[in-house]
Amino acid sequence: MKDKKKSKFSFLRRLFGNRNKVMSFMEEEQLQSPGRMIVKNFTHNKLGMTGLIVFLCIFLFVMIGPYFFPLDLSYQDNTQTNVPPGMNFLSVPKELEGNIVDITPGTTFAVGVGKDGKIHVWGHTKITDKIDLANIPEEVKAANIVSIAAGYDHIVAMDDKGAIYIWGNRRLGQDSLPDELAMAATYGKDLHIKQIEASYQFSAALTEEGKLYLWGNKNMADLKVKKEYQGHIQKVALTTYSYVSLLDDGSVVYSGFEKDNSLVNIPEALSSGVVDIAGASNAVAAVKEDGTVIVWGNCDKGENKVPYFESKPVELYGGRYHFTALMDDGEVISWGDNTHGQASVPDSVNSEEIETVFAGFYQNYAVTKSGEVKAWGLKGYLCGTDNLGRDVLNRIVNGGKVTMTVGAISVIISLVIGILLGGLAGYFGGWVDMIIMRISEVVGGLPFIPFAMILSAIIGTRISVEQRMYLIMVVLGVLSWPGICHLIRAQILSQREQEYVTAAKSMGVRERSIIFRHIIPNVMSLILVDATLEFATCMLTESTLSYLGFGIAPPTPTWGNLLTGANNSIVIQQFWWRWVFPAAIFGICTICINLVGDALRDAVDPKSAER
Amino acid sequence: MTRYVLRRIIYMILVFLIVSLLMYSIYNLIPTDPARAQLEPIKKSLKPAEYEARYAQLREEMGLDSPLIVRYARWMGFAPKVNGEFDGLLEGNFGYSQFFKKDVAEVIPDPMKNTIFINIFSTIVALAITIPLGIFCAVHKRGKFDSSVQVLTIIGYSIPIYIIGLIFIWFFAVTLRWLPVSGMETPGNNFTGMRAFWDRMLYMTLPVIVMTVGSLGGMTRYVRAAMIESLSMDYIRTARAKGLREKVVIYSHAWRNALLPVITVIIGWFLSIFSGSVIIENMFGLNGMGQLYYKGLMNNDYELALAIQMFYIVISLVGQLLTDLSYGLVDPRVRVDK
Repeated sequence: MKDKKKSKFSFLRRLFGNRNKVMSFMEEEQLQSPGRMIVKNFTHNKLGMTGLIVFLCIFLFVMIGPYFFPLDLSYQDNTQTNVPPGMNFLSVPKELEGNIVDITPGTTFAVGVGKDGKIHVWGHTKITDKIDLANIPEEVKAANIVSIAAGYDHIVAMDDKGAIYIWGNRRLGQDSLPDELAMAATYGKDLHIKQIEASYQFSAALTEEGKLYLWGNKNMADLKVKKEYQGHIQKVALTTYSYVSLLDDGSVVYSGFEKDNSLVNIPEALSSGVVDIAGASNAVAAVKEDGTVIVWGNCDKGENKVPYFESKPVELYGGRYHFTALMDDGEVISWGDNTHGQASVPDSVNSEEIETVFAGFYQNYAVTKSGEVKAWGLKGYLCGTDNLGRDVLNRIVNGGKVTMTVGAISVIISLVIGILLGGLAGYFGGWVDMIIMRISEVVGGLPFIPFAMILSAIIGTRISVEQRMYLIMVVLGVLSWPGICHLIRAQILSQREQEYVTAAKSMGVRERSIIFRHIIPNVMSLILVDATLEFATCMLTESTLSYLGFGIAPPTPTWGNLLTGANNSIVIQQFWWRWVFPAAIFGICTICINLVGDALRDAVDPKSAER
Repeated sequence: MTRYVLRRIIYMILVFLIVSLLMYSIYNLIPTDPARAQLEPIKKSLKPAEYEARYAQLREEMGLDSPLIVRYARWMGFAPKVNGEFDGLLEGNFGYSQFFKKDVAEVIPDPMKNTIFINIFSTIVALAITIPLGIFCAVHKRGKFDSSVQVLTIIGYSIPIYIIGLIFIWFFAVTLRWLPVSGMETPGNNFTGMRAFWDRMLYMTLPVIVMTVGSLGGMTRYVRAAMIESLSMDYIRTARAKGLREKVVIYSHAWRNALLPVITVIIGWFLSIFSGSVIIENMFGLNGMGQLYYKGLMNNDYELALAIQMFYIVISLVGQLLTDLSYGLVDPRVRVDK
């Protein structure tokens, strides 16, 4: 009741009574502080707000992203070059579910055979613009395939009669079968082949009698077999350029003729009792009867970091840089390189009973007793890969971080120089002003890109990659301060006539603190606008320099050097993902920054919107 | 006015000297030894002592041991070289290009012609588009068309030129196959007369389009701003008040006044037709100044790069001078000499 009464007479009280409620000066006059007004104006600008939100998203993406996509500057993989965007490497066709006989993963694809003898290929199969591994030859389609092996760019298949089929890249002798195999195929003789394997431009076939046939590019791989081992070979494990054999007496030998590769020195423990062997790209793993696993060869990706097993491994499978082992209790364990998650076995695999495992390159497939396929490893690349096999998404994220950092630091440098010199020019006036203004005119008038290029070319050749990055920041900062300097000077000249400066002066505040503590904070909003627009310009300049090869040098990614070399028709058309994604995100980012800058300028100075 | 121009020119020369000294010192950071380089081929035929003697003699002849400022003066042509001749930049000796194995003065003319040719085209096209567009946007300020042009221009000047180039190559050269991807003329052709001319034009089209599109954003905004500024003046209100037709108000009263800031920018622009765009010329493989500069830097041909850099600096200084003077020329109200 009381309240109602109060409100009824409130206007009378306002007219005649005395107010008990003390309002602040701002509320009473319905004034807004300039800062709040700017924020209000800005938030009402739809375009500017959209720009800000999108920019913040991109900013968070490139700042947080590197923790999820760590940058490995030395990373490159010639098996993963120019892979288009897609996440289908592990998508086993439905037809294969429940009737799998064999799966062999290749570089970016995988091949599977069903119980009906039909072949299915999935993943990125168009490995060059002419060769598509999904084009299975007619005679292979007609045959009843029982075993299959995938190499880097070719596939070897064997049917129930022991005939061998090869398709894919054949230019380097991938299909030049040894005479005996070719003869057997012609006369329909079954050699009883029990194992076929394929690797980098070469393939292998092993018969029941223990005879090993090797064919392919002899210049790249060690394709000979020492006579004394022929007839005793139980199993063969291929690496990229060589192979290792498991003999029928349970020992492992290097049966080729090369003497100086890392696989030749076989550990002594492997002279007897070996159950299974498997080859990775540069290393071979062997498991003994007692369950010990021994890895030798070139193990710089952690292939030899064999974990502790609770049960006994019975079978081994090799990927490119990892191994997967199947235990006697049906458990599956992987170790080695885990860049693409190929060595982290999902829990769902170990909760099921596993019948067998197929592994290769970056993929793993586990088949459960019920015939279900569980896959893990490299699914594909969301934004494709570049000419060195690096993930474009990874490079976009990390490149964005570099570009933004360089942009931000150059802006800070130019702000510091600009505010300092502009302040000095405005404060001292006279000849100091004259000199500073002349210098700024000269620096501002220099052709920016050529000047930065020559600085980077001359100084940049003698310093490290990291120092070069700092050099670019400094060059950009040092060349882009004149704009801000002019702004500050003009503001100081006009603000020093304002009342608050007069007031400060009459109170005896020193001139220097008038400039840096009274005037500069008052023009901070203008500086902010300028800095925003400058940030976009610095990012553009940095990327242009990097694009031309005078900025930040690869392998450090930036949004500019991701596009270096993209301007030829092959890349533009066939490898479009290599330029579309970086260009799109960079374009959107700079557009957003400029939108924010424009909106800020309108918010700070509503009159400028009129113009 | 004459005194002002003289003062500006003297100031310009001073700035040129300072900047060129700066550039020369940066250039001298490169660890090269021309004397040793010259002796290298005959090193084996000389005895060590003889070699050292010859080397010292050569260094003496080349004046490599003189202080930096003396070498600079010799390079510029202010001071006589060791042999007593004045032979520097001022005498027309721009240096020797290691990459082309020719004097720089002989290397430059061809690319310069190409650059001027492309730039004149794109400048004219850009002006023909931006000026009417800017005026229209200013007159119909805040309309739908204006708003969309505003957004487009922001996009235009935000996207780096090489991305615009990539998009245009993709569209016109790769997808539609109307225009060649890069180059100056059909490889291995022996066209003559009109045929050669059209072939050349075909190859020039895409760079000119990209260059034009790249400069549309900034210029349109500039024209629009100048036009809005002058449309908000009191004399426009007066002109409308006395009942002049809108066309007369816009084109006679407003545009003429808006022209003042625009023209100064255009004059500044016109000088840049000599310098060329490093990015566009590289992208399209055009043999212009920008690409020459790029090649010079890429192949460590620093004498060539330095000469072109000097040329760029002269261009930019003359551009500044002309811009300043043109203020006074186009607008009698502005007295530059004050």
